[in-house]
Amino acid sequence: MTRSGEGAAKPPPSAPGAPPGDAAPGPLRRAAGRLRVSRFEVTIAVALVVAATAPLGVAVWQAGRLTEHALAFGLDPRVVDRLESIPALYLEIFRSRKQLYAEQAREVARGLPRDPARGTKYLGAAVADTPRLRRAVWLAPGGDVLAEAEDTAPLPEGEWRDAPARVELPGGGTLECTFAIEARFFAELDEARAVAERSRDFERLGGEIRSGLIRSFGSMVILAALVAAMIGLLIARGTTRRVSQLVAATRRLAAGDLAVQVDPGRSGDEVAGLARAFNAMVREVRESRDRIVYLEKISGWQEVARRLAHEIKNPLTPMKLAFQQLEVRWARSPAKDADPALGKAVKEAAEILRDEIGTLQRLVEEFSSFAKLPEVKPEPAELGDFVEEFVRTSPQISERAEVEIVRAAPSCPVALDRALFRRVLANLCANAVEAALPARARVRLGVARTRDRAVLTVADEGPGIEPAVRERIFDPYFTTKGTGTGLGLAIVKKLVLQHGGEIQAGERPGGGASFSVVLPLRADPSGAAPD
Amino acid sequence: MTRARTSTLAALAALALAGPAAAAPAAPLTVALGVKEGRVLASVHVDRAFAPAGERELGNGLTNVVALYLSVMPAEGGPAALVYGRVIDILFDVWEEVYVVTVKDPRAPQGVRLVLKDAAALRAFLSDQRDLDLGPAALLPEGAFVVEARVELNPVSKEQLRRTREFIANPSAGTRAGGGGSRSVLGAMASFLLRDPDPGSDVHLFRSRAFARAEVAPP
Repeated sequence: MTRSGEGAAKPPPSAPGAPPGDAAPGPLRRAAGRLRVSRFEVTIAVALVVAATAPLGVAVWQAGRLTEHALAFGLDPRVVDRLESIPALYLEIFRSRKQLYAEQAREVARGLPRDPARGTKYLGAAVADTPRLRRAVWLAPGGDVLAEAEDTAPLPEGEWRDAPARVELPGGGTLECTFAIEARFFAELDEARAVAERSRDFERLGGEIRSGLIRSFGSMVILAALVAAMIGLLIARGTTRRVSQLVAATRRLAAGDLAVQVDPGRSGDEVAGLARAFNAMVREVRESRDRIVYLEKISGWQEVARRLAHEIKNPLTPMKLAFQQLEVRWARSPAKDADPALGKAVKEAAEILRDEIGTLQRLVEEFSSFAKLPEVKPEPAELGDFVEEFVRTSPQISERAEVEIVRAAPSCPVALDRALFRRVLANLCANAVEAALPARARVRLGVARTRDRAVLTVADEGPGIEPAVRERIFDPYFTTKGTGTGLGLAIVKKLVLQHGGEIQAGERPGGGASFSVVLPLRADPSGAAPD
Repeated sequence: MTRARTSTLAALAALALAGPAAAAPAAPLTVALGVKEGRVLASVHVDRAFAPAGERELGNGLTNVVALYLSVMPAEGGPAALVYGRVIDILFDVWEEVYVVTVKDPRAPQGVRLVLKDAAALRAFLSDQRDLDLGPAALLPEGAFVVEARVELNPVSKEQLRRTREFIANPSAGTRAGGGGSRSVLGAMASFLLRDPDPGSDVHLFRSRAFARAEVAPP
């Protein structure tokens, strides 16, 4: 998100008749703006999706082939045919068993005694001798039981079920035999039938199963692509949003908004570095523009001052000479004693004229001084040492104020025109002293530094400066004092700007005014950048 | 029989009848229509759907399915006025060597179990479907109408689809002792995306001669 510095935080008002879209964006528009996808984001997201899905596309094709192979193995028609023929095999097994049991039952029937009284004994022996014969019942034609026998001995381990075999006897009657057959045959048959039916289902549904698996895999690929696209967008947005902000900020800068700034974020990547460099560039451009504008303005005022001084000075000298001659002649004139009232009036007028001529002379001198500010010729200096030397060699300041020097940084190498920067300090300290009147002033001179700048602070404990006038306080001929020309701070600012620095008026914590003079740190003679 | 089940089966029958037929009808369907207690009863003869060669398949010891759908439609075309569907499960019991037949229709959705002693009895049963309740006689078309019959042999049933879906979703469940196994996302999705297959080629469509309402339900 771009942000504006001081003086540009508020968006410009819409022009009359401008469409609603030109108005300040509302929450909905801001939300829509956040959701809008830039081309850069789309490019990165598409690249990620392509990178993610290209192998998956091949995988889909391979999956189709694998599914085909797997189904071909699993649904081999010969396997399905063999599975479907299993019940027929059991049918043959069961028929064989039933034939065996029927033959065994007929064998038992052939040996039945004629006398039913001996039937029970015979059947008991037959049951005992015939494998898996569990029970034999001899029934009369009418259904009455003539004899019966049952094997109560336990069968071998496992489940068994009954297999009946019925023999019609030649002389009438029936022999009903019950054999035991392994129940596992039926369980195995059921399982084989279930497997065979499932294989048959799969064979019928083979095409659909293959399609379903491919559709499933394809759906997962699409899902993966969507997730990749979303992640890509999220990742891309982190970078592209800042790039988009830089683009927007650059457009605002091109449109003349020198207050625009870009949030570099907490990242330490190249984009964040670019944002910081952009902010520094804009700040530098803004300061340069302000400096140029101010210096041009000051130059104009200097020209005005020069002309004013010239225009005032030209008639002032003859006026002064003429007045002095008039005073001499009046002193010798007999009229002076003849009319005492006239003498008194002339004397009072002479005093007024003398004072005003003196005032005009001082004004001319100040104007001339302002108009003829010399060129700044900076030379290497240590700011802290310079401030200490200034205080030590400026009794007019130390006599009128309690001066405290605070050096927060041990070294602040700068480039100063010592004579002119003394004037800067003298003006600022004089302002501080006058602000404290009639009390004795307390002036605090602070020397500190940032990464690439030295900061000199002149703070007092006076009434401070109204925020409303801070913007104009450096304008020439603007003063809040009853006396003075309003040129002192203008001269200060011009000199500071000519040193490549800046000055700002502010408020001292705890009350009072504070002027901050920021100067560029002098490059190390060895070529190393300021730390 | 609930009304919901009846309507569901009727809808299925209508869908089945609306589907493609593998073969065009060669001769008119033999059908006898009558009205009893206000409901239309039909007896159809669909022996042409059951070729003798098919008896081997029906007696293979696996569960085979015959689906029969009937509809009464205006002779000049239009939506069906009456529909009926029945599903017949046929299992040849290889121990008893009999055909166990379960007939499910709107009157008996749980199925009526019959035991048929041999293939001939089975063929006779399948060929002559009697007293099929087509619905209220009042719904018979006013004009001429025909009866269409659709016989499907071993169609893929919902149960088969369900079993197949379960197997695709969890293939290892059927091979491990105690079932279970792990479901894969791919299998679950493939199971979800498994669609009903085409009816296949073993579908027979029959169409009766045109009937007049007065023939069936005299005023």
